[in-house]
Amino acid sequence: MKPLSSLRRQRTLLNCAPISARQLADRPMRSAISRADGSAEFADQQNFDRAVARLVRLIPIPAESAEWFSEKDLVPVSKRTWKTMLRNPAVLAISIALAVIAGVFVFNFVSHLNDFPGSATARKLLGVAASTRPVMLDPVNTEAGTLGDLFFMKHGLEHYDVATEFADFGTIGCRVFEDDESRRIAQIWVSEKRMQFFLFPAERDSKTGAVLRFPGWRYVHQEGWTGAVTEHSGVCFMAAVRGGGKDLQSYIAKAKE
Amino acid sequence: MLGESRKAQEVFHATLREAAVRAARGELPGEPFWLFRDARWRCLEATKSDLQPEPVEMDECDVTPEAESQIQRLDPMQLAIWISAAPDPQRSALALFYLDEFDYREILDIGELKLSELSRFLAKGRRQLQAWLDSKFPQTSKV
Repeated sequence: MKPLSSLRRQRTLLNCAPISARQLADRPMRSAISRADGSAEFADQQNFDRAVARLVRLIPIPAESAEWFSEKDLVPVSKRTWKTMLRNPAVLAISIALAVIAGVFVFNFVSHLNDFPGSATARKLLGVAASTRPVMLDPVNTEAGTLGDLFFMKHGLEHYDVATEFADFGTIGCRVFEDDESRRIAQIWVSEKRMQFFLFPAERDSKTGAVLRFPGWRYVHQEGWTGAVTEHSGVCFMAAVRGGGKDLQSYIAKAKE
Repeated sequence: MLGESRKAQEVFHATLREAAVRAARGELPGEPFWLFRDARWRCLEATKSDLQPEPVEMDECDVTPEAESQIQRLDPMQLAIWISAAPDPQRSALALFYLDEFDYREILDIGELKLSELSRFLAKGRRQLQAWLDSKFPQTSKV
């Protein structure tokens, strides 16, 4: 039944086929014409219509009425404006899709703009900081700067030293654990603003094994926490605090002075 | 539509006058073909009181390749009268289509027709016109 109905639809359209190419046809009409192109019946119809249209143009129009038409078109061709184009559902859908893609691209670009070697690990550790409870750490009441010796003597962790900017802070507890990539991480909880420190191996070049260094302090943000990270002797130190990075910046700035 | 130039002129001027009045009042409709639709209704109104063609079945013939030369021999006013004698809405369909100013969707809009109706009216009109041409300018039979 479907081919029959399709043929009937095609025949219906062909009966209304435009006389001149001037009348821009829509897609179904163009498709019907292209299918019928070359058929003698359709060629006869087109010749017939053209001949009648030519004769119609010769029908005399009273002079008083004729002067109204002059050379102007009877129907002004409507111009496509930006507004009408934008209202087209296809254009609208494509524009929205492109805007979303561009948005995702910009978001990824901006979020990776401040990336540095070890930033991914630092972000993961901010997640750890958010979920850590004091009972999970071994209680230690000392200055953070002295824990480097403890980590070396007890756990064999070389250069796991707290950065000098934060070395005087009094500790509440500490622990050493392995992350999901079996890297050994040292975590220290200090009483100052309930800050947490993390010491973890710096990222290395996968081919040469060389430490990927970066100068100064870098900042990462995750789950409402902010971390200030620096690298020294192949070990990264991160001071993490809940909230913005202004507090951390002030400690680092003070130390520089 | 009317087959008579005096009536056509009256309708034309009445349509324009009405359009000018509506434009002056700022009441021009937003739809694109209202002027043509208005003109069509005025034409139908103008012929309402005229003698109406009897509803007779006209002869019909398939369109032939010779039709072009037969049409060339026709007087333009004869064609105008032949179209104006067709019953509406076939008359509107033929007049709007052979004016060659509108595409088929515009004709559907102005003539308030469905696609199947327009198609039927045009196909029937061609066959009837061919039959009339054949009767007017008989073809010499080919051997």
